[in-house]
Amino acid sequence: MAFRRTEHHRGRRVLATLLFLLAPAAAAEPDRFSASELERIASHGPWPTAWMRDPGNRVSANPAAVHLGYRLFFEPRLSANGRVACATCHDPARGFQDGRATARGLTDGVRNTPGLFDVRQQRWFGWDGGHDNLWSASLRPILDQGEMGGSAGRTAHVLRGSAALACHYRQAFGKAPTAGDSDLLVNVAKAIASWQETLLSPPAPFDHFRDALERKDVAAAAAYPAAARRGLKIFLGRGQCATCHAGPNFTNGEFGDIGVPFFIKPAGVDPGRQGGIKRLLANPWNLLGAYNDDATGGNTTGTKFVRPEHRNFGEFKVPTLRNLTLTAPYMHNGSLATLRDVVRHYSDLDEDRLHADGERILRPLNLSEAENADLVAFLESLSPATPLPPPVVPAPVPACRAP
Amino acid sequence: MKSPRHVPTAGAARRPLATLLAALAGLSGALAMLPAASAAEPKLPIFDAHVHYSHDAWDRTPPKEAIAILRKAGLKRAMVSSSSDDGTQKLYAEAPDLVVPSLRPYRKRGEISTWVRDETVIPHLEDRLRKFRYAAIGEFHVYGSDADLPVVRRMVQLAKQYKLWLHLHGDSDAIERVLVQDPEARILWAHSGFDRPEAVRAMLRKHRKLHADLAFRNDHATGGKIDPAWREAFIEFPDRFLVGTDTFTPERWYYIAEHADWSRAWLADLPKDVAERIGWRNGENLFASMMATK
Ligand code: HEC
Ligand code: HEC
Ligand SMILES: [Zn+2]
Repeated sequence: MAFRRTEHHRGRRVLATLLFLLAPAAAAEPDRFSASELERIASHGPWPTAWMRDPGNRVSANPAAVHLGYRLFFEPRLSANGRVACATCHDPARGFQDGRATARGLTDGVRNTPGLFDVRQQRWFGWDGGHDNLWSASLRPILDQGEMGGSAGRTAHVLRGSAALACHYRQAFGKAPTAGDSDLLVNVAKAIASWQETLLSPPAPFDHFRDALERKDVAAAAAYPAAARRGLKIFLGRGQCATCHAGPNFTNGEFGDIGVPFFIKPAGVDPGRQGGIKRLLANPWNLLGAYNDDATGGNTTGTKFVRPEHRNFGEFKVPTLRNLTLTAPYMHNGSLATLRDVVRHYSDLDEDRLHADGERILRPLNLSEAENADLVAFLESLSPATPLPPPVVPAPVPACRAP
Repeated sequence: MKSPRHVPTAGAARRPLATLLAALAGLSGALAMLPAASAAEPKLPIFDAHVHYSHDAWDRTPPKEAIAILRKAGLKRAMVSSSSDDGTQKLYAEAPDLVVPSLRPYRKRGEISTWVRDETVIPHLEDRLRKFRYAAIGEFHVYGSDADLPVVRRMVQLAKQYKLWLHLHGDSDAIERVLVQDPEARILWAHSGFDRPEAVRAMLRKHRKLHADLAFRNDHATGGKIDPAWREAFIEFPDRFLVGTDTFTPERWYYIAEHADWSRAWLADLPKDVAERIGWRNGENLFASMMATK
């Protein structure tokens, strides 16, 4: 429909564009976008992006695995004390994070819990990119002594204790969950990953605006608040935010140092990406290992060419900017409580913390209070305007339904 | 033993297992290998030519702890500068055998780009130079024609008067301009200007007193193997290069040991004599000796 346009339609669109570009000029300059800005706005969509299954996970999109993964995500008996589930920290009501500065499982952690919406789109997992795939990032917390402290034995016990879980495991992997099976934990992690892949955030006000511009739909575009438009201008222009927070998911998938201190309590530092590369390469469940289900090896390039550099020390993953209103506090250590604080951080940037070399993307923006509020309004427009319903519960597969 | 390269490969089927084993070995390898290596041969001493200890660093890591970090990293010596200079003095007082002080024109953070036009920098430098001993003035940042501004000119004169090195972070244009002001100026070119090895070599050929540190660069070595163009530079000028961490944030003090080990790894890819010179002897000859004989 939208693709098949007649000449007549095209003529109308050009007129509408002209009106849109010219009309607000008299009233408010900052509302207008140049051709190059419009192009860059378009690059942050469309949303949602096309979903693709994970070639490295053979049960990606497998209904039995998705159901099993869903059940296990909320299963506290996987943990050493029987009280910590994935959902304890990744709470669906809070954009799949916990609202804490740093996570608390069996013990207190040092990093902020990331939200899990649209996690299928991430290229590296964890703030330090210590994982190159979603299933190994899902296996880590099960074994982590500070988070869940689980084990293969405990996991097998939970699976065998429930006819429904055992049946879904069998349906997904073609065999029964046995404690001695060295694949069991990886399989479970792949099932939990396949459920997380279904977590997609709906279009936000920004997406409606972006699509309206694309359609040259002046009336629909007008619904986007003026403050958010001004903020968007700063985001694309002076702020250079889109250099790192690029594309539909507002991240280039890489790592950066924006001058957030990275000491940890009580002593020492969080080495960030530098430690993440070490963890990644030492991890038997990375994509170069035997558990990658992509026989073509097409998904291994990124990992193969990772090279440690000095700048990696204290770099953290460029996070998505979607759903931020659900996921405060911010940064790898949750050190900034509000979006206002985040924008102030960029506004008052401490240049001495950023190594002076070559072209500078980050500079103190020295934003006025009003500009600060505009940028916050823009960031807020990347979150859903209304509360999200709870996640859709995946149905049990027919073969496992109780009679 | 024959090199394993001559053994025919076992075929693709074995590879996943080999990868897994290699990965598992990697997990414990880091821990297991250190004592073995140090038992066989003592670690190469390192002269770290690029350490900062600014006020936020001494808040977090007080002098005693900081010195412990340097010693644990196996540093022979470290050239230290800070904003303000108090940090350097605290560290020097704690370990005069380990610290070579350098005087920054910056009194606090945030002066990196403003100092070249700030006349008050001069009395600061003059005052500190009267009171304390240094091997160098720096590290300071200056690019292109800014090097001819009055504040910079006066600083170059002070270096001449006190017979000090200039630790300059900037482009080759700035270096040329300083050398016009004082053809005898001794410059340590921070980060080798982030220039390509060919350009660095050309500068070293042209200016016989120019030296260069390799701080915060990775392009000269990957996985302990030296890049061919850089190797030529190191072999041509074994006396002119130094290594350095660059602790530009207080957190980076916790990277000093890591950096020393990284340096040892690629230095091992050079003839022993060249490795020792770049690793520590050049620093000892050029800077440490100044503190000893003054
Ligand atoms: C104790 C709190 C806690 C628990 C329990 C927990 N997580 Fe997390 N999760 C975190 C933290 C903190 C991080 C960031 C870790 C890092 O940076 O290395 C994280 C990161 C992740 C990531 C990477 C996301 C990204 O965008 O990089 C995934 C995926 C994930 N967790 C899934 C799970 C699953 C699945 C479980 C249950 C098996 C789980 N988590 C249990 C706290 C928790
Ligand atoms: C050089 C790349 C880069 C640029 C440019 C950049 N960011 Fe970021 N941003 C990051 C990184 C890296 C982090 C995470 C840092 C950390 O956790 O320590 C981050 C974190 C954030 C967060 C916190 C998100 C969360 O979930 O915790 C927000 C919000 C944000 N940036 C907005 C912006 C805005 C607005 C701009 C422009 C003024 C901007 N960024 C420019 C790299 C960048
Ligand atoms: Zn420097």
